[in-house]
Amino acid sequence: MAAQPPHAKRWHGHGLPYLDEKPLPGHLIVLEGTDGVGRSTQVELLRGWLELEGYAVSNTGWTRSPLLSKTIAEAKAGHQLTPITFSLLYAADFADRLEHEILPALQAGFVVIADRYMYTAFARNAVMGADPEWTQEVFGMALVPDLVLYLEIDVDTLVPRVVRGKGMDYWESGLHLALSSDIFDSFQNYQRRIIAEYKRLAHDFAFITIDARESINKIQAELRAHVSEYLRRAQGGLQPQADGPSKPKV
Amino acid sequence: MHFTEWNSSRLVRNSMRRGKRRNLLTPSTFSLLHAVDFADRFIYQILPPLRAGMIVLADRYVYTAFARDVARGVHPDWVRGVYRFAPRPDLTFFFRVPIDVSLERLLAGRAKLKYYEAGMDLGLSTDLVESFRLFQGRVLEIYDQLAQEFDLRVVDASHDIAGQQKVVRRMTGEILREYDHQRARNRHGSSATAR
Repeated sequence: MAAQPPHAKRWHGHGLPYLDEKPLPGHLIVLEGTDGVGRSTQVELLRGWLELEGYAVSNTGWTRSPLLSKTIAEAKAGHQLTPITFSLLYAADFADRLEHEILPALQAGFVVIADRYMYTAFARNAVMGADPEWTQEVFGMALVPDLVLYLEIDVDTLVPRVVRGKGMDYWESGLHLALSSDIFDSFQNYQRRIIAEYKRLAHDFAFITIDARESINKIQAELRAHVSEYLRRAQGGLQPQADGPSKPKV
Repeated sequence: MHFTEWNSSRLVRNSMRRGKRRNLLTPSTFSLLHAVDFADRFIYQILPPLRAGMIVLADRYVYTAFARDVARGVHPDWVRGVYRFAPRPDLTFFFRVPIDVSLERLLAGRAKLKYYEAGMDLGLSTDLVESFRLFQGRVLEIYDQLAQEFDLRVVDASHDIAGQQKVVRRMTGEILREYDHQRARNRHGSSATAR
């Protein structure tokens, strides 16, 4: 068997110069998309499928670090956060997960699926009015992912999904920005801005855009097709099937 | 006059405690948590009095992070970038002491050096005092470079307190001369308008 090609991983900025350079044979796959677009459902389905395909999979999600998750929840419950402190808290949460979850899993050869990544901060910070260059600098310690899959949706399709789902919450409606006192108007306005930012990021950072207005199964099939193709290219991992990518088992 | 102190905001107190107690902090998270603390105090405690024309006295400022976090291994440009929202102070004093003096002073006040202040997270030495010497030696070296780069006024802090105060008051007085003129002008200006 031919030796696996080394994966050229790179940092978004200055990286973490204090870490010893160790090979990162794993794969970092990111799912991005706005609130309520169905990211978490898709991440779970992808994970199950990859495990069945014989991959060791690890997943990580925004604000889930043991160090910061409680602090962020508490801070969001109060009214103390400003764009700068908000951004830095998210960056701290991200750095904690990067060093304690993502990098060790990549070193061990896992496929890491990240439910949101630094692009979430880029989009939200821009909408909150934080200096975009500054945000990029702060996240200079991040590892650039191997694949970014972006679930794109329009506000008109998003609204009924969110209303039928867990409802509109304070932060996801952008009420902290005082765009409107009406939660419905504010949600539409805020999400429209976030989606516009994502569109720009999709262009700048070469995301693969997936139409998230489709059914769960269809979205999953498309995600799997892209992941298969990436893994095949990266390591000859998943063999192509006669009739294209495998059907989602949902 | 307003006073603000490093690592005193309530916002990240619990994370900082949790991280320090369980030695969970990496150089980056250590740096970012302190940046959150600083940003929180900057926005609520430093910026409003400055905007109101008051004098803010800060016990440590961004240079602490520039020295300490870089000694831990983060990139100097990264940490400068993180703190880019903070303006340069009008006057910064760097109270400089040799490592032996700071060690002696710290140990006179309490029983033991702290894990992170001794840089134990870097694994330079298993001995707390030795690790402190090595880590704080690096910090001091970086501070000396920062003093050049950012024009920090170096005060020899191994001297007696009264002597240090004399130096500090003289330099502060020079900076405040212009501030006093301006205040006088403003007072004069506003009373003129009132009339």
